[in-house]
Amino acid sequence: MSAIRTEDLSKTYKTPWGKKETSAVKMLNFEVQEGEVFGLIGPNGAGKTSTIHLLLNLIRPTSGVAFLFDRPVTETAVHRRLGYLPESVNLHTYYRGRALLNFYAALCDVPIEQRENRVAAVLKLLNLEDAADKPVSKYSKGMAQRIGVAQALLHDPDLLILDEPTASLDPVGRIQFRELLLELKRRGKSVLISSHILSEVESVCDRVAILENGALKRVGTLRELSAGGSTRFVVRDVPGLAMSALAATPAEVTLLQGQVTIRCPDDAVRQTVEAILREHNVEILRQENEPQSLDEIFISTIKQDIGS
Amino acid sequence: MKTVLLIASDGIWALIHQRLLVGLMLASLALTIAFSFVLKSARENVTESFSEDRVAADMYKGKGNERMSESDRRKLREQMGSISSVVQAAFYEVTALGGSFVALFIFSTAVASEIRRGTIRLTLSKPVSRTQFLLGKYLGGVAVMAGYALIMSAAIFAFAQSQSVALNPAIKWSPWLMFCEQLMLGSLALLLSLFMHPLIASILAFFAGNGFYAPPNPLYFILPSYSDFGVFFDVLEGRLVDWKDVALLSLYAFDFVAIMLLLAIWRFRTKELV
Repeated sequence: MSAIRTEDLSKTYKTPWGKKETSAVKMLNFEVQEGEVFGLIGPNGAGKTSTIHLLLNLIRPTSGVAFLFDRPVTETAVHRRLGYLPESVNLHTYYRGRALLNFYAALCDVPIEQRENRVAAVLKLLNLEDAADKPVSKYSKGMAQRIGVAQALLHDPDLLILDEPTASLDPVGRIQFRELLLELKRRGKSVLISSHILSEVESVCDRVAILENGALKRVGTLRELSAGGSTRFVVRDVPGLAMSALAATPAEVTLLQGQVTIRCPDDAVRQTVEAILREHNVEILRQENEPQSLDEIFISTIKQDIGS
Repeated sequence: MKTVLLIASDGIWALIHQRLLVGLMLASLALTIAFSFVLKSARENVTESFSEDRVAADMYKGKGNERMSESDRRKLREQMGSISSVVQAAFYEVTALGGSFVALFIFSTAVASEIRRGTIRLTLSKPVSRTQFLLGKYLGGVAVMAGYALIMSAAIFAFAQSQSVALNPAIKWSPWLMFCEQLMLGSLALLLSLFMHPLIASILAFFAGNGFYAPPNPLYFILPSYSDFGVFFDVLEGRLVDWKDVALLSLYAFDFVAIMLLLAIWRFRTKELV
């Protein structure tokens, strides 16, 4: 069973008089498996938050369908298994922290005899014990973000949808949050995380989807996405003519202690470099495929799109 | 039902923390107290006009009324009664108007403010359907309006007790009729607020009464009939309001509210909430 599935999901916004249309999400197809941590990345306006809003049934798709645990997102009952943290956490400021969590716990059908313990546990987990009885209106941005995470975890959901979860957290908060995500992953929870902080996504996500202008550009594990990425050749005794030919390619050539390292950023350059080395009978001491970082994958995906 | 009640209790809690609403309610209460003083001073003025006649003054103080002529006593009673009716009618009008503003404020912002602030996103990410959310918000508003009607009723009865004023028969039904009218206003304001800005929704709901039209104009039958719920002239003229009329009006009000809520649910089910 998949935790999230979308089929040709599209969303088009129209101006009030229907004169102008903006496609926020275009024919989106992706699946998040149970127990998988899935990253949704893309530049501003790529359609990440719109996708999340469609999954939460806050907006209606123009076409296509979305499912949570194989049930249509329009079914409210499926939300019992869902925890959500919005991009900007807007809370009911007339409550105190503990009372707010009690209210959400009641909405999530947490049994009354367990409610107090659950609330205390998430307050402790998010280091909010000291602020639990303060009015929410007095909370700092970081504290509001943490209580936002707390309300998402209250009912121990099977699926977490987190929209820019660390945007308002300080570095310590970010590290703690990453540890929390890893713990959730160990416990077999499914997580959809949308973030601009690519290192964060890279460190916790099993698979990543790259969105741009509402369309899905690439999806897969980091290894899959970086296939055809950079290749490094280590060679020696390179003749002058070969060096000149290599210098004319986009490959990065470095000479160190008699060994030449040639870094090919993509497959096309790799093929050119291989041809030059073959032509000049250069011995290849080592050939290594370097997995790209998520930053590199992201930039190369966006660049390709700009290029095309 | 549990979810609806939870949303309603949250709605009440939110409304209690609305400074503007508390201000409106306090202003209404202040007007009630002000009218109490007006009535008190009007009664004293009438008594003063008889002050040259010591008998009248003595009667008012509760002694020696046997020395006052029958015509003077009748005249004094009539004047007192007419002042009491005018003040009670004015009191009713001010209370009803204040209540209408409170109702418009509560219901037009109940859902719209949650959407504007973004708090609805967290609530609806829980197992809460849109229908439950809307009904809960309406129920919260109804509870606050019931509280308002109770406070105002208590104020007028307390005032009548303290001043030994006989309550006009029509005013006894006024809190209930006022409450019904405010629920009608509120349900229309809530529905309109799902299409437009709450302020415009409030203004439209307030002026949507059919008072400007007469049969056979179809608008007379479509638009809500707020004016039938007013007891201003009944109070002024000391007329009795028949309980059958009250029952019929209540039925009409609940029918209207039910239709407005069904339309609001239909609209809210497809509304974009970001």
